[in-house]
Amino acid sequence: MTAAAVAKEAGTRLTKAGAAGLNATLHWSQALLDQEAARVDAMPKLGPLAAMPIAIKDNIVTIEQPTTCGSRILDGYISPYNATAVERLRAAGAMIACKANMDEFAMGSSTEHSAFGRVKHPLDPSRVPGGSSGGSAALVAAGVVPAALGSETGGSVRQPASFCGVVGVKPTYGRVSRYGLVAFGSSLDCISVFGRTVEYAARVLSVLGGVDRLDATTVDRPPMADPTPLKDLAGLTVGLPREYFPADLHPGVRAALDRVIARVKELGATVREVSLPNSAYAVPTYYIIAPAEAAANLARFDGVRYGPRRVGPEGDIRALYRTTRGEGFGAEVRRRVLIGTYVLSAGYYDAYYRKAQLVRALIAQDFERALGPGGVDLLLTPTTPTPAFKAGEKTADPVSMYLADIFVSAINLAGLPALSMPVGRTEGLPIGAQLIAPAFDEGRMLAVAGTLERAISAIEEVR
Amino acid sequence: MTWETVIGLEVHVQLRTRSKMFCGCATTFGDPPNSNVCPVCLGLPGALPVPNAEAMRLAARAALALGCTVHQRSIFARKNYFYPDLPKGYQISQFDEPLATRGSVTFESPERGRIAVGITRLHVEEDAGKLVHDRFPGRTAVDLNRAGTPLAEIVSEPDLRTPAEARAYLTTLRQILLYAGVSDCSMEQGSLRVDANISIRRVGETLLGTKCEVKNLNSFANVERALEAERARQIALVEAGQRVTQVTLLFNAVAGQVKPLRSKEESHDYRYFPDPDLPPLVLSPAWVEAQRRALPELPDAKRERLISAYGLPAYDARVIAGERAIVDYFEAVAAAGADPKAAAHWVMGEVMTGYNESGSFAVPPARLAELIGLVAQNVVSLQAAKRIYPELAADGAGSVRAVADRLGLVQVSDEGALAKWVDEVLTAHPAEVQRYKGGEGKLMGFFVGQVMKRSQGKADPKGVQPVLADKLR
Amino acid sequence: MSIGRDEVLHVAKLAEIGVDDHELPKLVEQLNRIVDYVAQLDQIPSDATAEPFLAGPAMTPLREDEVRPVPLARPPAAMAPEFADGFFLVPRHGAMEDL
Repeated sequence: MTAAAVAKEAGTRLTKAGAAGLNATLHWSQALLDQEAARVDAMPKLGPLAAMPIAIKDNIVTIEQPTTCGSRILDGYISPYNATAVERLRAAGAMIACKANMDEFAMGSSTEHSAFGRVKHPLDPSRVPGGSSGGSAALVAAGVVPAALGSETGGSVRQPASFCGVVGVKPTYGRVSRYGLVAFGSSLDCISVFGRTVEYAARVLSVLGGVDRLDATTVDRPPMADPTPLKDLAGLTVGLPREYFPADLHPGVRAALDRVIARVKELGATVREVSLPNSAYAVPTYYIIAPAEAAANLARFDGVRYGPRRVGPEGDIRALYRTTRGEGFGAEVRRRVLIGTYVLSAGYYDAYYRKAQLVRALIAQDFERALGPGGVDLLLTPTTPTPAFKAGEKTADPVSMYLADIFVSAINLAGLPALSMPVGRTEGLPIGAQLIAPAFDEGRMLAVAGTLERAISAIEEVR
Repeated sequence: MTWETVIGLEVHVQLRTRSKMFCGCATTFGDPPNSNVCPVCLGLPGALPVPNAEAMRLAARAALALGCTVHQRSIFARKNYFYPDLPKGYQISQFDEPLATRGSVTFESPERGRIAVGITRLHVEEDAGKLVHDRFPGRTAVDLNRAGTPLAEIVSEPDLRTPAEARAYLTTLRQILLYAGVSDCSMEQGSLRVDANISIRRVGETLLGTKCEVKNLNSFANVERALEAERARQIALVEAGQRVTQVTLLFNAVAGQVKPLRSKEESHDYRYFPDPDLPPLVLSPAWVEAQRRALPELPDAKRERLISAYGLPAYDARVIAGERAIVDYFEAVAAAGADPKAAAHWVMGEVMTGYNESGSFAVPPARLAELIGLVAQNVVSLQAAKRIYPELAADGAGSVRAVADRLGLVQVSDEGALAKWVDEVLTAHPAEVQRYKGGEGKLMGFFVGQVMKRSQGKADPKGVQPVLADKLR
Repeated sequence: MSIGRDEVLHVAKLAEIGVDDHELPKLVEQLNRIVDYVAQLDQIPSDATAEPFLAGPAMTPLREDEVRPVPLARPPAAMAPEFADGFFLVPRHGAMEDL
């Protein structure tokens, strides 16, 4: 089958998804897809992702389409350069299918904070797909594309993967170049991958990794180990961090995790309880560090060099800044920029930012102990405390929304690789299990996930 | 009541690199606006900085030349503020862990003799773009070619006590940086910029007064003038019973006045924090040591050596060591075999005059050495040599001796030829001959001069005198 | 700790974000909710210590000093809201008149 034919089919599915009102894409056109296909069909050698249509979260820059980050402040902005990740996908033969909707500047856990409307959950339009990479997750879950790029700062791929019933993989910080990923929290941001299956996600991730001379935070490491599923899990020790199985965990989620734990044991792995005491502080720590970095990262959106400009009645430069930014950013982005500015401002730095850095180190230290010498090989936890919630349920109280990331954000703070995979459903909604691995151990983590994927039905109702 | 002035200077120098601090754009001066720009220095969404190795090397070299400790680990920090010349809304700089700290600059203070002024710190940072206010009515134009150019900021201790001393410090600092080859240090092109902090206090007081910052200083002379104006303003305020309030001022060189800057009241909460895009800058002790070893001889040491090794007078040594290009030229002339004192004489005369006019050396050092040798051997007179010198610049002029021959400037010592010139002079000046014979011995100088003139400088002055003495007996 | 109305306005000024009067009370309330929430880090003992954590490589790589910019597919003029004769333009006002 030629890339041209694949592109036509992908276009048909994108059109259908659009008609169904998923609102998962921000920009796509058949013409651009066909152009991608022509490029791939002209490649002298079949790449590892030959003719695979891939959706790209709209905070990863591409030359052909606009990159808006789901924000009015970048309405119509077209990047004059490509992200390194996009270049690598293309070199591997992939086709950029579309730009996917997202929470504005990746700030949110429901994709309700997009300036271009909320994304609907493919299984229940009254619910959210999770976020901030909700558009990418929904497109994979709806079968529009087999894989998609999202980005994580505090769980923005694993959480929507869990809600939508797809695989979401966050690599080790430094594995994948951030060049061309519009920065939110630079010390946390990771381009991450959605796949219909573990294999799709692994294939995409394997071409993304590697040091990039344009990103000083990429790490020069050997490529990812072979992610091929294993015949069993003999010799593997899996840790269950007790803080991630609280008493008030949703019963459906608990039942699904119990079933996974049973299968892990049946496959020959040893399971034992571990403790990550400081993970309890992950969300508040995250909500100091990420906004502080975001406040600086989003300062460049000032209406001077690109993007729409609005000038207040005073007509001066300050009026330009304040109106462009005041009107261009949505409510959640404004809250985070203000909090981030506050925690760095004179007199508060030590109480907030410095303290948060200490707690971040404590959190990372917990993981190092659990996964280090004498510890376990992998950690297994639920990805989210509940299945997908209803739209509007958490928009009134920002903190209630933040708590949707309670099991995922510690991993970003520690810079570790982790994934979410579907392990069953409760009341028709997907449930995700999370695997967390030591730094740069993505290969084995994916191999274990692939092994579990064959042993556990992802769509069976769990009781 | 007398007042003491306390001055500290912040000097920004542009590091001499081909490309910018954090991206591969050229640092060329004077290109069309916004032509040397890329995603990084335009602050485009998604772009990331990667530090320039050469900028780090030059900054470390500058720090070592100033006697600073270069730290094995330093941290890039974001300095947050909004300004149209600052594309990212923050400047990448260094804050609480700078590249280098605690050095000093020793120099001759016009008032206090030889003093050492402390260097608090030297850190690296990126430059902002340029704003043009007078080109579009009602608009400010932004050119980002300069945005991201590597700078070293050198902060002195408040050890300076007078405006003249501040100027002397700057002159020495510039000399050192030029020697170290880290920057062009051109105030005209903006590759050296100065901000001055100044306060006053009563003599004997140990606490510092409220300081004001003076900006827009475009020459060392203007630094001195601006500081004098600001010192006078502060003293007048306090003597009138008022207080100095902390303010940033701009110097107007035409009016010779300082003027407070408006509406900057809340620009000082820069919310510095470590730049998460840039891991720590780690420099190994071996690398730092290699940079130290690679440093050229610095002005102080050079001056000492000009005195001890070449026997130059202190004044000559200071003048020649003042600029690295000059002293390098001098040493090349001496190395080519010229007598050092004669070489110094030439360098401080013809050579520096030409260099100051054209910025280059017309005569290769070996040719000048050859000319100096001919003077020493009495082949040409000093007077003749000064006529030969300009001819040596031309290509294909042949050997220095050949030029002297061609110009007919080779000295004549043959007694017969000298006697002929002497006879002509004595015949032409019978009155002076009478007076000489009457006892006016000092007229001998007059006769020698006349012979030199008649011979067009070719007569060997040492041979002329015995012939004259003989004929006048 | 809590964040008051004046503090919110101060921070908004630092961040150059215009805030309308009518939205201020709700914003103050929401920011307080967040500040109260993150304040639970106070429970961490003040004498707690940990090896400083750094995401990514331990030291920055350095690039060679080569003129090698990432090329722009479109020039600055194509993305600027106001551009003339090679310059980005902004209103000329306020503090900038001093410089």
